[in-house]
Amino acid sequence: MTTRRAFIPIAAGAASSLLCCKRPIASSGPAGMSRVAILRASSYSADLVDRMLRGISLCGLQVKGKRVLLKPNLVEFDRFAPINTDVSVVAAAVEVFERLGAAEVLIGEGPGHRRDTSALTEQAGYRAGIPQFERRFTDLNRDDVTSVPGFADIPGIFLPNTALRADLIVSVAKMKTHHWAGATLSMKNLFGLVPGAVYGWPKNKLHFIGIDTSVVELHRTFPRTFGIVDGITGMDGNGPIQGNPRQSNVIVMGRDLVAVDATCCRLMGIDPDKIEYLRLASPRGHVQESRIEQRGESILSTRIEYRLVPQMAHLRLQSGG
Amino acid sequence: MREVTRPRLDYLAGIQNADGGWGYFPGKESWLEPTAYALLALHPSGPHQGAFERGWKLVRSWQLSSGAWKPAPHVNEAHWTTSLAIVLHAVRGVHDAALERGVSWLLGVKGAEGGALARIAGLFTSSLVEFDAGLVGWPWLPDTSSWVEPTSQALLALKLAAKYVHHDRLPGRIAMAERMLIERRCRDGGWNYGNRKVYGIDLLCYPETTAMALIGLKGLAVPGLAPSLQLAARLRADSRSQLARAWLTIALQCHGLPIANEEADLAPDVMVTALQLIALNRVLG
Repeated sequence: MTTRRAFIPIAAGAASSLLCCKRPIASSGPAGMSRVAILRASSYSADLVDRMLRGISLCGLQVKGKRVLLKPNLVEFDRFAPINTDVSVVAAAVEVFERLGAAEVLIGEGPGHRRDTSALTEQAGYRAGIPQFERRFTDLNRDDVTSVPGFADIPGIFLPNTALRADLIVSVAKMKTHHWAGATLSMKNLFGLVPGAVYGWPKNKLHFIGIDTSVVELHRTFPRTFGIVDGITGMDGNGPIQGNPRQSNVIVMGRDLVAVDATCCRLMGIDPDKIEYLRLASPRGHVQESRIEQRGESILSTRIEYRLVPQMAHLRLQSGG
Repeated sequence: MREVTRPRLDYLAGIQNADGGWGYFPGKESWLEPTAYALLALHPSGPHQGAFERGWKLVRSWQLSSGAWKPAPHVNEAHWTTSLAIVLHAVRGVHDAALERGVSWLLGVKGAEGGALARIAGLFTSSLVEFDAGLVGWPWLPDTSSWVEPTSQALLALKLAAKYVHHDRLPGRIAMAERMLIERRCRDGGWNYGNRKVYGIDLLCYPETTAMALIGLKGLAVPGLAPSLQLAARLRADSRSQLARAWLTIALQCHGLPIANEEADLAPDVMVTALQLIALNRVLG
């Protein structure tokens, strides 16, 4: 017996783990600082609209007149597992961006495994819980596409027109551990922008390019983004599907997805310097804590250590880090 | 023609694009996948022969010089949907050079996990997921790994094409892909995208991929398939996904099981409408 999914990328990952002590450190990032807001929310029945309005204000985001695409994380449905971005968070985001004067607030997702996105949105409560869902939603797996030149070592990538036409893509992600990438947050969530109709279910071509490289390339390809990470109930252990619920009671927001994800990692007790896609993306965003202007709650006051599978134990943030 | 099928056929013909194809949703650009399913649905219908011929002509124009089909007019990638084009040729009874080139291309493509580099990689990662890398099927795109759905689609295509095309490699590829699907079946008896276990933990099947695998295994007489067919019947009864139910109906038909067709609302999803018609008219089973 042997293994599958993405042999070459996994081999690269294994080699990367073995060599992690010798890896180059993250870049100090672009000039200036990045603001990241941590907002406390004890449950999904909290006033999430209020929290998000505050977070957006703290991060200085302007959305008036923009066509906004909300990109939740919809993977599979299990009523007992917090796999997907909670419907309350997505519904609140719709209300917030409309209140702030967005020209249009759309929702799009292209799940990596499931063919029937429509059924998944119903199971996850999106159809019932989000006003005018049918009008807003596009199955990005089966959207019309346009070729965008240059993606890692391939000549180009086909991407959905709904995403390419958006003025702002809001990655409304879930705070989860990930058994291949270490953590899945606002950047890894961008995988759902890649159309299954071209690349399949799963989007195995990205695995062969390299999961970390693909995450970074998607981040580069979509520069107008904002991150909202649903960490009210996250997932730890064997995420992103088979892990356990982990109550973090936070929403993390920011314009710099690298800084948002680095902050989330610190909240989860994961060392962001050891997350390969953050290291690779560090020239375009801030990983270093000293370059992130923390707003709202502090990391120290909201940090909840997420359990890691033994294979990911090396990612643990050392105390005081 | 059954009363229930006529309004659906009319609807499908009515949303055909000007180029002769169908998008995944009405008004969207044409893609091979919904176009192939729409044509399979329209094929037995007399009143829509004009629509069928326009679509057929379009599909024929999308074959690449390699023999593969591209998935959409501006996506010039050799693609798994080649299998659907082959199924369409076989169901229509067209045996010509285009079909032979398509089958040759398909027989030349296999999952990258069978290669030497992949096998070496497997030595480093034996605790992640489990499967037998010696059993190779078909990928979504060339030079990537085999997965359940493209393997199942290729199996159906080759089994149907075998009536017209004789190729030394054909029986061997069919036999190995069938073994691959059986080996990658989840513990619950169904199939997901293609990983039955991660970190030693069993993964659950999905209704739609369980259906696809059973369609690919059409004609395989294996006693161990009975629990999978029973599971498929249960999934069909329980699933809220119209797409999954349509595929599961076709899967059960492919294995000769009596299925009562359901009355379903017209879906805005072209594939769902087309697959419901394929099930109602028993095009594949």
